[in-house]
Amino acid sequence: MGHSLRLDAYLQFASKAFQREATYRVEVFSEIGSLVLRVYLIRALWTALYAHNRAPANLPLHTIITYSTVALLLSLIFEVDGTRQLREKIRLGTIATDLLKPISIPGSLFSDGVGTTLLHAMSVIPSLLIALLLVHVDRPPDLAAGAAFAAAFALGYAVNFLLNFCMNCVAFWTLETFALQLVVRWLSDLLSGAIIPLTLFPGALQGVLLHLPFAAVYSTPLFVYLGLIHGQQIGRALLEQIAWLIVFSGLGAWIWSRGRDRVVVQGG
Amino acid sequence: MEPIVRTRDLRKVFRRPQRRPGVAGALRALFSPAFAETVAVSDVSMEIAAGELIGYLGPNGAGKSTTIKMLTGILVPTSGVVEVAGLIPWRRRTENARNIGVVFGQRSQLYWDLPLRESFELLRAIYDIPRARYRVNLDEFIDILEMGEFLDTPVRQLSLGQRMRGDFAAALLHDPRVVYLDEPTIGLDVVAKEAIREFILRINQQRGTTVLLTTHDLADVERLCRRIVIIDRGRLLYDGTIEDLKDAYGRTRRLVVEFAEPQDHVVVEGATLEHTDRCTARFAFDRGAISADRLITALVARYAVRDVAIEEPDLEGIIRRIYLEGISPSEVLRP
Repeated sequence: MGHSLRLDAYLQFASKAFQREATYRVEVFSEIGSLVLRVYLIRALWTALYAHNRAPANLPLHTIITYSTVALLLSLIFEVDGTRQLREKIRLGTIATDLLKPISIPGSLFSDGVGTTLLHAMSVIPSLLIALLLVHVDRPPDLAAGAAFAAAFALGYAVNFLLNFCMNCVAFWTLETFALQLVVRWLSDLLSGAIIPLTLFPGALQGVLLHLPFAAVYSTPLFVYLGLIHGQQIGRALLEQIAWLIVFSGLGAWIWSRGRDRVVVQGG
Repeated sequence: MEPIVRTRDLRKVFRRPQRRPGVAGALRALFSPAFAETVAVSDVSMEIAAGELIGYLGPNGAGKSTTIKMLTGILVPTSGVVEVAGLIPWRRRTENARNIGVVFGQRSQLYWDLPLRESFELLRAIYDIPRARYRVNLDEFIDILEMGEFLDTPVRQLSLGQRMRGDFAAALLHDPRVVYLDEPTIGLDVVAKEAIREFILRINQQRGTTVLLTTHDLADVERLCRRIVIIDRGRLLYDGTIEDLKDAYGRTRRLVVEFAEPQDHVVVEGATLEHTDRCTARFAFDRGAISADRLITALVARYAVRDVAIEEPDLEGIIRRIYLEGISPSEVLRP
């Protein structure tokens, strides 16, 4: 079942998602206040912690505050889950009407997520500017690191999408995925470096965590951004992200086709 | 002419895990699951020529939706042949999708949060409709379906009648060759129903679109279809014209007579008196055994008659009888 790749349709999905999200303005504005507050709390928390403890090597206070602030911004983007709709579509059976269209459903979900993310990203810009008055955020050490960060971020975005997609596909069997997602979310918050840099974990655990797919989402882009990894290390980290991308693309395609066949053979 | 829709011995069996009561049952089901098989569609063979407008009837749970799902390619048949516009729908789902349009009365395909206009624009991109063609179609639909007023209203704020009109336009923008309409008039008021019926006729006649219409409203069928297909418990019961069905299953006509003066005792050869109140009488007669003409002549010869009326069997009564009593397969008529 080959889908001709017609970019126009997928751009439309993104643009419609953007417009749709823009209609829920209250949500957008409430996010702005919350962002400023969270950035302030990050600064207060780490400043207090560092005042009474010895700073770990290569993570001075300004670095950890930069880390946490950028991680917070990344989480605003990564938490937008365009594939959550899939769960609803499966539960309500509207997936059938989507299957009536000559379109790739995973592709449309991805585009929808991008559109939603763009609106959220734009809506946080004013609050981001206010927040930057509260904290000093370091820039990437050089242009190369900045470019590598952009690449690592894009790969992290894709891996995150695929992780969410695989999880929501489970609804084909269970109809409900809330509990599963809650658990994975907790694990991922803790183990991805979204809150605490993975370098602060004890040695052996750190070695494992750095190579989990969760790290590919948050930790890798952040380490690149802060210049905590250099040269070949960056190359290796990006390759690892690409490897996860391939693994989860394969897994996603497999679960999706099994799930779709389930609907198609059993009638949902 | 080659039929545009063709099924041969089409069959769909659903296999669903069976639940046993209680915790013990749930545990047993975990290790040795039991399955129940339901035959949703059984050996359905039919052919629809391009440009036909067919009523597909049957009681709830008869297998109508399952058939439509197989025709759209979102359900794989257990066995048998299904072909739409030369494609096997479930093998070539996305290609088939370009040839067909679907309207579900109970479920909108429009994008809930977006104005109707945006939904249409999205569909243009999805089906890759050439801009010029899109403009012509959209303008025509806006005009006939009178959608101008609510084109910029989000779909969730539309009334059911407005939403249905939007759904019809959405299903037809890409010039599908075959359209499946699944209870498109359900819940609509009489005016909205009539508007939808006229639209269906129009696209069938002017565009030559083949239409398969599923409905419980027999007024839809009588207004729109010449040919109907009746299915029950997954099996095809009837495939032919409404006329033939009435001839075959509605042989009993009724004659209502109004007398000039009260009658105590009325008798006519060849008709059964069903009801009388001295001034009027209702007779049932078999149209195959005696003609209305002879019956009236006999009546007028014997009584002073002021008025007569003949009641034709109605489709609803016939269909109700078929749903309740069924027809044996040997009785199935073919055109």
